[in-house]
Amino acid sequence: MATDKNKLSGAETLRQTRTYGKVRCHNPSCMGRLQPASAAKQVQCPECGMEYRIAWVRPDFPRIRGPVWETNRKLAEASLSAKEGK
Amino acid sequence: MALNRKIAFINLTTGDIETKPIPIELRKKFLGGRGLDAWLLYNYTEKGCDPLGQDNTLIISGGVLTATCASATARTHIMAKSPLTGLLGSANMGGFFAPELAWAGFHHLVIKGKAEKPVYIYINNGKIEIRDAAALWGKSTTDTQWAIREELGDEEIKSCVIGQAGENLVRYANVMTGIKNAAGRSGMGCVMGSKNLKAVAVRGTTDVTIAHPMEALEFNKRFIDQITSAKVNQTQGTLGTPFIWGATNSWGGIRTRNFQYNQCEYADDIEPERIDEIAEETIGPHHMAGCYACQVHCRAQYKIPTGPYAGKYDEGPEYTSQGAFGGEPDCKNAETVLVGNHLVNQYGVDNLEIGSIISWAMELYEKGILTRKDTDGLDLNFGNDEALLEMVDRICFRKGWLGDVLADGGIPASEKIGKDSFDYLIQVKGMSNLHSDERATPALALNIATASRGSDHLRSRPAIDLYHLPEKVLRKIYSSPVPYDGPLSSEHTSYQGKAWQVFWQENCYMGVDCLGICKYHTVFLGATLPNFEDWSKVIYLNTGLELSPTEIWEIAERANMMERLFNLREGLTRNDLKKGDTLNHRYFDEPCRRGAPDVVGKTIDREKFKIMIDELYTHKGLDENGEPLAETLERLGLENEPTRLL
Repeated sequence: MATDKNKLSGAETLRQTRTYGKVRCHNPSCMGRLQPASAAKQVQCPECGMEYRIAWVRPDFPRIRGPVWETNRKLAEASLSAKEGK
Repeated sequence: MALNRKIAFINLTTGDIETKPIPIELRKKFLGGRGLDAWLLYNYTEKGCDPLGQDNTLIISGGVLTATCASATARTHIMAKSPLTGLLGSANMGGFFAPELAWAGFHHLVIKGKAEKPVYIYINNGKIEIRDAAALWGKSTTDTQWAIREELGDEEIKSCVIGQAGENLVRYANVMTGIKNAAGRSGMGCVMGSKNLKAVAVRGTTDVTIAHPMEALEFNKRFIDQITSAKVNQTQGTLGTPFIWGATNSWGGIRTRNFQYNQCEYADDIEPERIDEIAEETIGPHHMAGCYACQVHCRAQYKIPTGPYAGKYDEGPEYTSQGAFGGEPDCKNAETVLVGNHLVNQYGVDNLEIGSIISWAMELYEKGILTRKDTDGLDLNFGNDEALLEMVDRICFRKGWLGDVLADGGIPASEKIGKDSFDYLIQVKGMSNLHSDERATPALALNIATASRGSDHLRSRPAIDLYHLPEKVLRKIYSSPVPYDGPLSSEHTSYQGKAWQVFWQENCYMGVDCLGICKYHTVFLGATLPNFEDWSKVIYLNTGLELSPTEIWEIAERANMMERLFNLREGLTRNDLKKGDTLNHRYFDEPCRRGAPDVVGKTIDREKFKIMIDELYTHKGLDENGEPLAETLERLGLENEPTRLL
C-alpha cells in the first residue's frame, strides 16, 4: 500500500480547528469558549452564567482550576428546585 | 522484523518451555497485544477453570508495533481469567517492559501451571529460564525489581512483578513494572501469585527490523506533531492525568462518599497544583517522566513531605488515586492521596478497586450494616484519613476479618457481610467503577455497563461526548472507517446515537491495544488524535503488513467478539447484576444532587437504557440476549473457534 505524504487523515484535518488561549465552559450543555484576560484569576461564562477560577499552565495557556462555588452552587440549587417543583 | 517476534509457552508445573513463531494468518486476524491474547485465552483455557488454579492461563504481551519506530508503543498487556469477576481478566500498563520483551525476541508469553515454590522467569535474548524467587518473596514491587537487577548484575533488566498483595492473593492485585506502571484491573497480580510467580524479568538486545525505515521515521514526525500539539496532551505533560479532576468535578461527574454525591467542594485540596505546593518539584514540564517512545510525559514524581512515610519517593498520583483516596472516601488531604498512592504502588494493588471497596465499606459503616466489631474497633467513617490508609494495609495483608473479606472483592464480600450490602456496591460484573458518576451521561453509562472486563472507562468510553462537538465533527470521527449515517447527538444527556459511539470507541481502543500504543495517542480525551486511518500507514511502514483502515476495524471487532465469547462461556448473561451488562439500581433510582444545572436531578432512564443496549447489541451483531448471531461469527471468521492453531 502506497502512502500519500500530502493527504491528511481525519484527525489531522480536525486539528486545524484547535484554539489556544481559551478554555471551554465546564457546563457540558454549554461548552462555550471563554477567553480569560491575561493572568486573570476568574472568568464567567456569558452564555450559562457558570463561573470559574483560572490557573495558568503557561502564561499563554489557561486552565480551569475549579468552579466559583458560590455562583455555581446557586445555579445548581435553582435548577434542582425547578426540577423538583419546589 | 517486528512480525518475527515469537510466542513462548511456559509451564510452571513441569518446567517445560516451548517457543513458536506466530503464523501470519493469526497476525492478520488479531495483530497482537490484547487481540491475540484474547484468542490465546479462549483457545488455551478450559471452560469453568479455577482462576486461581494451575489451569488458568496467564498471558503477557506487547503489541504488533512494540519497539518499532512508532510512537508510544510502550504498553504491556496481561490477560487471564479474572479471580475478581470470574470472567475476562485483562489489564494494560506503560513503562519499558514490552519493548524489552520484543528485543529479547518475544511478543507473547503464555504461562500455565503452578510452581511448587516461588520462582521468577528470566528471558535473555531468546533464552528462557525459571529461577528461584525465595529471596524475592515478601518484597515490595520496587524492591523486587532492584533485587532482580542486583542478582543478575544488569541494571538494564526490565521486570513485571507482583508485590505483597499478589502474594496474599488479594483478588484485585496488580502486575507492576517500574514504580507506578500498573496492569491494575481484574486481578492479574493475584493470578501471578497463585502460580507462585513473583516476576518476569527480561533483557533484550536483538534488532527489530523496520520494513520501510526512512518513511516510517518521516511519517512518525507527523504522528508526533499530532500528539504533541493536542492541548489535552500538553496539559497532561505538565500536570499529569489529575488535570481531568477539576473539569469533571466542575460539572458534577465525580462520585463522592461512595455514591451519595457527585461533586466535592474541596477538589482544590487534592488538585495537582496543590500537590505541587506540598511536594516540591512534582509537576511541570521539567519534572514529568514518560514511558518508552512517548512524547506526552504524563507521569509526575514526588516525595512524601511529612508523616511516617516522609521522604519516600513515588510516581503519580494518577486521576484514579485522587478518586480512590480523595473523593470516594471523602478525604480532603493531598498528603493522604500521596501516601495511599505510594502504598498501592508498593504493595501492588489496584488503587481504583481498593478505594472503591473501602468507600463502600464506609457507607455500610455509616448505615450500621458494618459495626465497630466488624472493623476490630476501627472508626471507618467517611473522611477518616487514618482509617482509610489502615484499611489499605489490612486488605493487602489480609489482616482482621474485614481486611480479609474485602480482599476477596466486592461481590464475595457482600455475600459475607449480608443484609442489603450488595445494594450499595457500585460495580459491574464484579469490578468496581471508576470514581466517575455516569448518571448524566448515558453514553458513559452504556460504556461501563457493557465493557468486557467489568466496569471500566478504558474499554469503550466516548469521553469526547462531553465536549459538545458539532454534529458534523462527530460524524467525521464516527463515520470512518466504516460508514455510519444513523443519529449522532452533541448533547451529553441524550440517548441518541450513543450506542454507535460506544461501539466505535470499543473498536478504537481494541485497535490501540492490539498495536501496543497508549490510549492518550488516540481518540480518548482528544478528538484530534490518530486513529484507524493513521494506524494503517504506521503498521505498513513499520511491519510491512498491508491493512486498510477498514481491515483494522474488522480485526478490532473480531478481537472484541473473542472477548465476548470468553465471557459468555464463563456465564455472562445480559441482565445479571453480578455477571451481566447492567448497572447498580442507584444509577436509575437516585438523582444527582450537585453539579451543572443540566446535571442535577439526572438519573439513567431504564427504558432508554434498555434500548441503548439493544442498539449496541445490534451494532455488534448480537441477538437480544447478547449472544452472537451465527452470521456474525461467520463474517468475523470465528465460527470454528476454538481452533487451537498453535
